[in-house]
Amino acid sequence: MTTAACFIIASRNDIPIYEAEVGSAAKREDAAQLPQFILQAALDIVQDLAWTTSAMILKTIDKFNDLVVSVYVTDDRFMLLHDSRSDDGIKSFFQEVHELYIKSLLNPLYLPGSRITSSHFNTKVGALARKYL
Amino acid sequence: MADPASTPLGKMLLEEITPVVMVLCTPYVEESCLKNGLSLIQLLSPFCDFTNIDVPVRTASDQPYRLRKFKLRLFYSSDIRQPNLEVAKERLKKVITHVGEKNFLESSDPSQVNNLLSRPESEMLPSWFQFFNKELVRTLSFSDHEAFDHPVACLLVVSSKDDEPVNRFVDLFNTNKLPSLLNDGAMDPKIMKHYLLLHDNQDGPFNKATKLLADMRNAFGQNDCQIICINSSQDGKIHHQDNPWAPFKSDALPTENLGCFLNLDDLNEIKDFMQELSSKHIIPYMEQKIRVLNQQVSATRKGFRNQIKNLWWRKGKEDTIDTPNGPVYTFNSIESQIRILGDYAFMLGDYELALSNYRLISTDYKLDKAWKRYAGVQEMMGLTYFLLDQSRKDAEYCMENAFNTYLKLGSAGRRNATRCGLWWAEMLKTRDQLKEAATVYFRICGEDTLHSAVMLEQASFCYLLSKPPMLHKYGFHLVLSGDHYKKCDQIKHAIRTYRSAIPVYKGTTWSLIKDHVHFHIGQWYALLGMYDVAVTHMLEVLASTHQSKTMQELFLRDFLQIVQKTGKTFEVLKLQLPVINISSLKVIFEDQRTNASAAAASVKESLWRSLEEDMIPSSTARSNWLELQSKIIPRKYKESNICVAGEALKVDIEFKNPLQIRISVSSVSLMCELSANPEEDANSSNNEVQNNEDRTSTSSGDINSCLILSEVDFSLEGGETTVVQLTVTPRIEGILKIVGVKWKLSSAVVGLCNFEFNPVNKRVVRGRRKQHSPSSDLKFLVIKSLPRLEGFIHSLPEKTYAGDLRPLVLELSNQSKFPVKNLKMKISNPRFLYAGNQKELNADFPACLKKKMNVEKSGSHANVNKTLQNLFHFPEDISVQEETSLSWPLWFHAAVPGSIPLYITIYYEMEGVSSIMKYRTLRMHYNLQVLPSLDVSFQLSTRPSRSQEFLLRMDVVNKTSSECFQVHQLSSVGQQWEISLLQPVDSILPSQSLFAGQSLLCFFMLKDHRRSSTSEDSIPSLSHIQSDVRLGPQDNSEAFFDVSSSPLADFHDCERSSQGMSSQGCEYKSF
Repeated sequence: MTTAACFIIASRNDIPIYEAEVGSAAKREDAAQLPQFILQAALDIVQDLAWTTSAMILKTIDKFNDLVVSVYVTDDRFMLLHDSRSDDGIKSFFQEVHELYIKSLLNPLYLPGSRITSSHFNTKVGALARKYL
Repeated sequence: MADPASTPLGKMLLEEITPVVMVLCTPYVEESCLKNGLSLIQLLSPFCDFTNIDVPVRTASDQPYRLRKFKLRLFYSSDIRQPNLEVAKERLKKVITHVGEKNFLESSDPSQVNNLLSRPESEMLPSWFQFFNKELVRTLSFSDHEAFDHPVACLLVVSSKDDEPVNRFVDLFNTNKLPSLLNDGAMDPKIMKHYLLLHDNQDGPFNKATKLLADMRNAFGQNDCQIICINSSQDGKIHHQDNPWAPFKSDALPTENLGCFLNLDDLNEIKDFMQELSSKHIIPYMEQKIRVLNQQVSATRKGFRNQIKNLWWRKGKEDTIDTPNGPVYTFNSIESQIRILGDYAFMLGDYELALSNYRLISTDYKLDKAWKRYAGVQEMMGLTYFLLDQSRKDAEYCMENAFNTYLKLGSAGRRNATRCGLWWAEMLKTRDQLKEAATVYFRICGEDTLHSAVMLEQASFCYLLSKPPMLHKYGFHLVLSGDHYKKCDQIKHAIRTYRSAIPVYKGTTWSLIKDHVHFHIGQWYALLGMYDVAVTHMLEVLASTHQSKTMQELFLRDFLQIVQKTGKTFEVLKLQLPVINISSLKVIFEDQRTNASAAAASVKESLWRSLEEDMIPSSTARSNWLELQSKIIPRKYKESNICVAGEALKVDIEFKNPLQIRISVSSVSLMCELSANPEEDANSSNNEVQNNEDRTSTSSGDINSCLILSEVDFSLEGGETTVVQLTVTPRIEGILKIVGVKWKLSSAVVGLCNFEFNPVNKRVVRGRRKQHSPSSDLKFLVIKSLPRLEGFIHSLPEKTYAGDLRPLVLELSNQSKFPVKNLKMKISNPRFLYAGNQKELNADFPACLKKKMNVEKSGSHANVNKTLQNLFHFPEDISVQEETSLSWPLWFHAAVPGSIPLYITIYYEMEGVSSIMKYRTLRMHYNLQVLPSLDVSFQLSTRPSRSQEFLLRMDVVNKTSSECFQVHQLSSVGQQWEISLLQPVDSILPSQSLFAGQSLLCFFMLKDHRRSSTSEDSIPSLSHIQSDVRLGPQDNSEAFFDVSSSPLADFHDCERSSQGMSSQGCEYKSF
């Protein structure tokens, strides 16, 4: 079972459009910015790796101490920061979130690249996180 | 790739892995040297580095080559031991602190990432890293597990002043005082010795010294003894250009006086001595030793037989005790010999030989589980591979292996791992594998926070320099490094690293990151007492809406604390707390159009304009080009808005609190500029302006006296939005410009917001311009004070019932010194409001409506036409004098239920006051709520028998929910109808009042007198026609209400015209 810390969708311009605390990792007030730091730094690695492979899932591309970054590369990047590995769960999580994301992209009122504020999306992601992570 | 030796790592290795010479000297020697401000070693050091020495050497296999670069490292025997950990740490800390202070003052951060990258690499990378790394490596000198720090030779120095110099030489090499390395068997105590006699020319003639030298040569051998003279300069005024000692004096003492007693001869003598020592003694000695050792090793270890034997032997040792440092090897064990052979070969540049020996020994150590030694050898192998520039993979593998092995040793190997890592990273950097180098730096980070901080910073620079630059990683590692610095109280370093990270995170949408960086920089600057800078950084995080409530509170509290500590009020141009909605900006000003209330100001201009259309003199429509020349208002004036001195301009601004916490805002006021009218001079010379205004020269300096600004205080709960109305009242003429708004946050910081910056979406309510630049929207021509009527309708109900009729009083007051005249009034809805007659002002209501027996009825409809036009002219002779008020009666009639807006505009003229403005209008706006009262419907049916008589059925329903009405009378309008009740009212409505929801059904007879009397032509009889029926109490002898006189008749006409009906109507009166 993975205890994930943070899930972020970053748009193609490296702008975070969705952020969520997922999993059971205890949130620390004084290190709230740490997941952002790690994930943003990992974007540099994604940039490199994304062109070298045809796989969408880049597992464990970067780590910081015991935190690991896995990324699902579409036009945007789905980035998950977690602290142990359960590949199948992460894979399914990414795929289902991707489906959700596509649905929200179909919303004519949603401007691609803007922040996802839908509470429905939020609850769905939360449910998926509980299911797979 | 370039020559490995000329790379940074190569240079570093050639400097750090060189033969060590142990120096032993007597106190007199030191004394002589100190005259120059230098110790003996410092004195000699500049001459130990030979870049062009050219010594012929032969390898172990007799291959000749020439050694060109060579360096000796000199150490006092007391320093030849492993440095004290604490002292070393303290020294490193000093280095860092010193650099911190220095860099902090000179730091100038690039604000853009592009600037950051465009600088040359050498400039980007702080030079002190090299120095620090060197220092860090030096803390690991003289370990017993590697041989390159072990002294190769010993230099004994005695002064000619010493008694019995020959004996002193013997005493000096006293085994008790020698470093432990020599004593505990880690290295061979039989070490090459060289004897030097130091003669101080100030102490006496040279002859004595030469005699002593002869004695020495007798005692210690011809070749191993030498003499040098120093302090040949008597006056001590020798000044050395490019002082060779400056780099060797670490402390910040002035360096000019170093070597002041040494003249050129002395220097040359020292130089020659060192050169000879190196080339004639040390290098041949090492060469010799390599040869000997190589033979030994070959004899015992090379060849198939020896290898088998060795393996067999090692296997047998396997069950021996497994000490953490592995077995102890003395200097004469074959393992140590191989290591020495390798290191000597390395130092003499014979890397092939070194490598083969390192390989050989590495397997031995591995089998022996002597892990530290194994790691040390692996490290050297890696470096040798590097210098040979052969197999990169092997080099890296060896370094990694060494690094991991050191790490496995735990805290004992930690620092060795650091050194190994530094070399490894350096190696990777040389090969442009910067990403990997950064990872290595990151891995070096260990228990020592301060060192970790430096390593992380070095890692960050690796990311920056990698191609393409990994800026996110760069920023992240800088921040990590800053955190580490902070933990060690290196605040200046922490600030520096964070500040370097700012360009990376500038404009980032990763909000938490940005907040973190700015907040901490702010906090740390505050710790240093640099509150001004702290405030600017704190401002960045102040309006962070995404943060949790506690964080917002923390940010705000810290910010206010810092501001308080600065002891001054800050003016901040773009303070985001509270947020100002510029698009909500609404300017309400009055030129010739004045408003009686705020409600009137919010009505659309077009509505007023259509209402005032035929009332105001339309200058543009009437004027031709001839008139235009002499136009009263110059063009420029027309383009800008006009306002009147002494009258307030109102500005509505929306403030929003973006945070979840409460903020208090005080002293909100407009920022305005009032300047003298620039056109005045220009125009007056043209004589085109008939401008008789007094020229008041004003400067924006004495604004306070010329402007009255309102101040507002309020506080906003989390997320709250409020609209604030601010006013500015110019008191003198000129050009008034509304620049912006300012406010005080928590009485500490002044926020400024310039309206100019966001010209889009600005809406000026009274804008009559089409293509004006936004800035002119907020620019006003202030003209001389003018009369301004205040208007008010007394006792106009907000809520009433349909059919309500009441007299009202309009009060117009003139506060100014000038009379106004030629008043006109227009009412948007004459069905509801109607101007009465001045006589009616004090009339008794409702008695005035009743029929007066002696009044002539003729002419009562005289003003019908006027009312239909709904423009009311006040009588010519009416004017509102200075500081008086005029009351005028109005009739109000609630014609239909619903929400009714009433617009009243009053036109007036003033004379001789202003040339720009001849007239003004006063606009009044009221909103009425008219509730349904009685619903009256009629049904008319002819009586079949008589054509002049009709049966009238009246249904009255009380539609209200609670009110009770009394129906008073039914009258027919027009004098030709006679109306009579068919049955007494009492029988239908005994209570005489109609309660809520109750209905009443009445039947009347209606008789047409006109038809019946056409032939008779009997007009006088009309007055006797019974056109009113009393529905109220029958015994009441009160007079009927007169429906044919004003105002009832007038309102009736209005109703008729609005309903488009020409038939008769009925009037009833209820109370």
